Amino acid sequence: MPSPVETVAFLQEVRLFKDIAEPELTALAGTLRERSLKRGQVLFREGEAGEEMFIVLRGSIVISKPVTGRVEQVLARIGPGDFFGEMSLFDRSPRSATIQSDSDATLLVLDSQALRRLTELSPRAAAAFFHALVQVFIERLRASGDLVAEVTRWGLEATGLDLDGR
Amino acid sequence: MKETGASPPPRRAKLELLVRHDTAEGFDVREIGSATAFVRSRPQRVPVESWELAEMTSRMAGQPSYILKNTATDRFLLLTEPEKFLWHQMDGQTSLQEIATAYVLRYGAFDFDIIPALMRKLQRAQLLTLTPTSRLRQALARNRRRPVIKAIETGLTALERINVSSRNVHRVFAAAYRWGGFVLFTPAGVIACLLLVVAGLVAGVQLWREGGDIVAGFGGHALQGLITVKLLFFLTLAAHQIVHGLALIHYGRRVREFGFTFLHGFVPTFYVDVTDIFMTSRRARVITAVSGASVHLVLGSAWFLVAQFAPLGSFTQAFAAASGIIQWQAFVIALYPFCFIEMDGYHVLVDLLGMPTLKQEAMSWAGGLVRRGASWRMGRQEAMFAFYVVVSTISVAAFVALNVMLIVHARS
Repeated sequence: MPSPVETVAFLQEVRLFKDIAEPELTALAGTLRERSLKRGQVLFREGEAGEEMFIVLRGSIVISKPVTGRVEQVLARIGPGDFFGEMSLFDRSPRSATIQSDSDATLLVLDSQALRRLTELSPRAAAAFFHALVQVFIERLRASGDLVAEVTRWGLEATGLDLDGR
Repeated sequence: MKETGASPPPRRAKLELLVRHDTAEGFDVREIGSATAFVRSRPQRVPVESWELAEMTSRMAGQPSYILKNTATDRFLLLTEPEKFLWHQMDGQTSLQEIATAYVLRYGAFDFDIIPALMRKLQRAQLLTLTPTSRLRQALARNRRRPVIKAIETGLTALERINVSSRNVHRVFAAAYRWGGFVLFTPAGVIACLLLVVAGLVAGVQLWREGGDIVAGFGGHALQGLITVKLLFFLTLAAHQIVHGLALIHYGRRVREFGFTFLHGFVPTFYVDVTDIFMTSRRARVITAVSGASVHLVLGSAWFLVAQFAPLGSFTQAFAAASGIIQWQAFVIALYPFCFIEMDGYHVLVDLLGMPTLKQEAMSWAGGLVRRGASWRMGRQEAMFAFYVVVSTISVAAFVALNVMLIVHARS
C-alpha cells in the first residue's frame, strides 16, 4: 500500500490530475481506495452494474468485448497512469466492456462520492479534471474509429474479399 | 542517398483476441494477422447442385478452357485449366496453404496472384463461401451439450494451444549445416551411411534368429521396456525433421519454421516448414523427403550393431534391438505411401504421379462408391484411386496386426 505522499506523487503524473494543485490532490488521494487484482482475474464484465472509475497504479489491464463463446476482442491494453470505468461513473449505466488483469495489478478506485467532494472542495480542480477527461474522451473516440477501420480491413484481408473490382 | 523508388508493401491488419480458459479465471491473448487467417481459411465452393462446369472446345491449339456456371444466378465464368484445378480443390476442407502446395506439385511453379484473383472472381459470381473451421471441430461444436463431446473439444483445444516453435531458425540450420551437417549430403557421407545400414542389416538378420533370447533381456518388464523404447524413439523424430531442414539448406532454400505441436490436436509431433523446397527441382524435393526418413534407417542400423555386440540376453541387447526395430519400422512407415497418412513417401508418390490430392480424391471416390454402389467402368485415374484405397486399407490392417503380435510376443 503506497503512503499518502507516494499516492499524491503518482497522481501528479496521471494525465487526469496533473493540473490539480497539490492541496486538492492530497485531499482527493485520501478518498481513493486501493484494489488488487491477481493475474488473469476479472474485475468486472460487460453488462454488470457499477459506478466507479479505476486508475491503474501498477500492472497491466486488458479491456475486451465478448465476440463469440470464449473469444473476446481486445479493445485496449492499459498500464500505470491510465484509467477506465469512467462512463459508469457518470451515467450509471451497465459496464460497456470487460476488464481483466494481464499481470498482478493494483488499482485506485474513485467513486462518485469522492468526485462530488472534489467538486465541492475546489471547482477549479474539478474543472481541470473534467477538461483532461474530455481530452482523453476525444482521443478514445478517434481510436475507436481507427479500430473499426482496422477490424474491417482485417476482415477483408482475411477473407480475400475484393470490393474494388466490378 | 540512394532512392529505390519502391514503396513498402502495405501493412497487414492484426487483430488481438482474448480467449478465456474453460474453468479457472485466466485467458490468453492471441494476435492474429489477417495473412495468417487468409492462408488457413478453407474456401468452399457452393453445393454441387448450384454449379455446372463444361469444357469449351476451341479450334485454336493450346490450353483448354472451361465455362463455370452458377445455376442459381445464371452467371458464367471462363476458367483456365489451372483455375479449374483450383476450383476442384475448394471443397471447404482444404486450406489455402494446402491448395497452394497442391498447385505447385501439379504445375511445378507457383503464381502468387492466381489464387486470390480466382477467389475474387468466384466471390463476385457468388460461387464461393468461406468456412474457417474443420469438419471435426464443427461436429464437436454442434454436439457441445453432451459432456463427453465437450470434454473432447476442450482437450483438443488445450492440446492445439501447445505449439513451441520459432520462425527464426534459418540461421541455426545454416550454422548446423556449415558445422558438419553438409557431410550428410556428400558422397562420403552417403557411402558411410550405406555401409552402416548394410552392417546393421547383417546384425539385424543375425539378431532375428536369436529373437526369443533377446526379448528375454527385458526380464519380467517387457511392456515397460517397449514403452521406454517408444518414448526414446519419439525424441529421434526431432532428428528426422532437423535433417529435412539441413536438406533445405543444402539446396539453398529457406527453413521458415521449426517446432513442436499436437497435430490435429492429438498427435504429438516435431515439424519443420519445408515449403520453400517447392521452388526447386523434383529431385531436390525427393531427396529432402527421403533424407529425413533415412535418419531412422541409420539410427536403426546403429542400434542393431549395439545389440549385436551387447551380451546375449542382457537388457542392453533387448533395448537396442527393440530400438532398432522401431527405427526401421519408422523408416518404412515414413516412406511407405499407402497408409492414409501424408508422410514423406506419400509426398514423393504424388509428386511423381502428378496427383497432388490423391488421398482426398481417392477417399471421395471410395465414399461415392459406398453411397452409390460400385461401377466396373474405371479409367486410369479411378484405377489409381482404387489401388490407393485397397492397398492402404490392407497396409494399415497389417501394421496394426504386426504391432499387436509384437506386444503379445513380448508379454509371453
